[in-house]
Amino acid sequence: MRRTRSSTVASPNVSGQAYAFMAMTPVRPGEEKPLADYLRGLRDRGPSPLAKLPRTHIGRFVIVPDFHHDPTWKQRREEHLDLNYLIFTSNFDGDLDSYLDELCERLAPEAKEIWGRCVGCPESAKGAALKRYLEHNQIKTGMFFAAYGQATVGAVKSSLRQRDKLIEFAIRAQAMEPDALQKAFLSEFDAVR
Amino acid sequence: MAASVRMDLGDIQGDILRAYGNDYDCTTYAFMKIECPPEQARAWFTGVVDHVTTAAPWPPGEKPLTTLNVSVTARGLRALGVSEEVVGSFSREFRDGMSSRSALLGDVGPSDPKSWEPGLGSGDAHILLTINAQRTSDHERALGKMKAAMDAAGGLRIVYQADTELLPGSREHFGYADGFAQPAIEGTSDDKARGGGVPLKDGEWRALAPGEFILGYPDEDTRVDPKKRLPNAPAAPLGRSGTYMVWRKLYQDVALWRRVMRDAAKLYEGGDEHTLSAKVVGRWTNGAPLVKYPDKAPASFDPQTPGGNDFRYDKDKDGMRCPLGAHIRRSNPRDALGFEGHLSFRHRMIRRGMPYGKVLPEGVTADDGEDRGLVFVSFQASISRQFEGVQVQWLNAGNIFGLGHDKDFLLGDPHGTGKMTIPGKPPFFLSPQEVFVRTRGGEYLFVPGMTALAALADGTAG
Ligand code: HEM
Repeated sequence: MRRTRSSTVASPNVSGQAYAFMAMTPVRPGEEKPLADYLRGLRDRGPSPLAKLPRTHIGRFVIVPDFHHDPTWKQRREEHLDLNYLIFTSNFDGDLDSYLDELCERLAPEAKEIWGRCVGCPESAKGAALKRYLEHNQIKTGMFFAAYGQATVGAVKSSLRQRDKLIEFAIRAQAMEPDALQKAFLSEFDAVR
Repeated sequence: MAASVRMDLGDIQGDILRAYGNDYDCTTYAFMKIECPPEQARAWFTGVVDHVTTAAPWPPGEKPLTTLNVSVTARGLRALGVSEEVVGSFSREFRDGMSSRSALLGDVGPSDPKSWEPGLGSGDAHILLTINAQRTSDHERALGKMKAAMDAAGGLRIVYQADTELLPGSREHFGYADGFAQPAIEGTSDDKARGGGVPLKDGEWRALAPGEFILGYPDEDTRVDPKKRLPNAPAAPLGRSGTYMVWRKLYQDVALWRRVMRDAAKLYEGGDEHTLSAKVVGRWTNGAPLVKYPDKAPASFDPQTPGGNDFRYDKDKDGMRCPLGAHIRRSNPRDALGFEGHLSFRHRMIRRGMPYGKVLPEGVTADDGEDRGLVFVSFQASISRQFEGVQVQWLNAGNIFGLGHDKDFLLGDPHGTGKMTIPGKPPFFLSPQEVFVRTRGGEYLFVPGMTALAALADGTAG
């Protein structure tokens, strides 16, 4: 039996178990500056709202005001965007469906300030309506490479803790004789085995 | 390649493109506050501007006994009557000021602006006058003249003054020759391209575009622009021939540094403290680079001789000679990040620091309570891209070098891993990382060109 291509090729949005989501939404005229100010101010207003989505590896909001013209390109004419565009990208663990559910519920207050300023965003800017809006504006990821795509956020954090422990051990152990070193290593890291 | 650019040296202030260097032993930095209306301040400023030293070369044998240079903070521009609109054309970090960037810069704990010396980072510093002198007597005369002019004008106050003096052999307080590795600039120091410029694939080097350091000239982004557009700069005439200046007073705890190196060396190969310290810097005390002289310092080495700074890291990828985390390798990785230097050549700066305070006598490992350290000064077209880029991304973070949370050991911010890895067989983990250097204050300034200074003095800068 011939296998269809789609059943053997993974989604281009997926690397390991990680998913790369991108949505691009036009910003309503007049809302460019309030949106930029709001996003810029996030840092001063405490922890990132994306912390409410602990499956997130890295998320990013970018406003694209226009096309960039590299003077070294020999373009015949310059092209411009009619509207500013908001790009939201997020790399996270697991599937998109449940991630968007979580986002549209937990980020409702922020979503109103963010996508609520974009063309076509439903009035309520939350729940199923927001989810449909984001799905509609999703741009398929052409190529996604996650350097450690099998590792969940939890696994990454625990590895970093191990690393800190190892560094601390290496500093402490560098004066030890081989026997003592082996003993100390086993007592420190035996549980890892 | 772009044709070499001619610099309008008469319009650029001195000591930026070419160092006054060892010609002057003493430098005083006087920060002033303007407490009078703009017109009155400008009358005084006009008198100052008349005496400013430019970059125009001195006729042979006519080196001035003293030099004078002027820079301004964003508040200083306002105090001179410059409009909000024109102030708004300056970069954001300059307008916000150094103390507002403390979290980013790592000025926390004992380096927090809250404990800076009065007059710095508080909004009181408006104008910085930099006076260089060949001898102490000339120096005192120049200072006296400056103060007399201030008193005559009224409404001006010195809010902070730092007196600095070269140490023998151009050393900084930890004992290392300092200040000679500088960017090579097209039209100014093309002869220093090897080691100072951009490392090219074929082993050659090229000097950097002047706009990386002086506004109003093509930079590394626009040098190939067929339309000859210039990089962003403050509104004319302020944006031409000027540059941004970073000024930081960095206290060095020399006794602590010596104790940590002495104790750590007991565990290091052969107990060699001299080599261990050199590994932290990336150079031997006389300036000889470890990549070229990995085993011991050459008996005589003059970093100023041609070729003294000519080296790359391509034969030392694992850092067995010069550790990946050495101060000079982090602060200017040259070719170490690959891509023909593309990841590093936009983050260069001209350094014109001066040590302050008395030397702690050799061998002393107990603190004597003296204030000593480095007045760090850098010039660049963009503070955020150049100075802050190096401080934040390279010295205070190790990711780009594969060093995780290791921070520059020399600067001594202990909030990373608290150690430095010295590659070797086996590697050595240097610790503890103590706070060897503390920020005691600082400002972001703008050094206007001569035309711009005249416009500021006349009140026609907009
Ligand atoms: C008290 C603090 C500091 C001390 C004692 C110190 C010491 C040194 C020494 C001994 C050198 C080698 C000599 C030379 O290349 O000229 C050097 C080079 C350098 N330092 Fe520092 N430094 C300090 C702070 C800083 C800071 C805060 C920065 C930048 C944010 C910085 C950036 C550089 C750069 C760019 C080089 C030249 C590297 C090269 O081009 O190869 N330094 N420093």
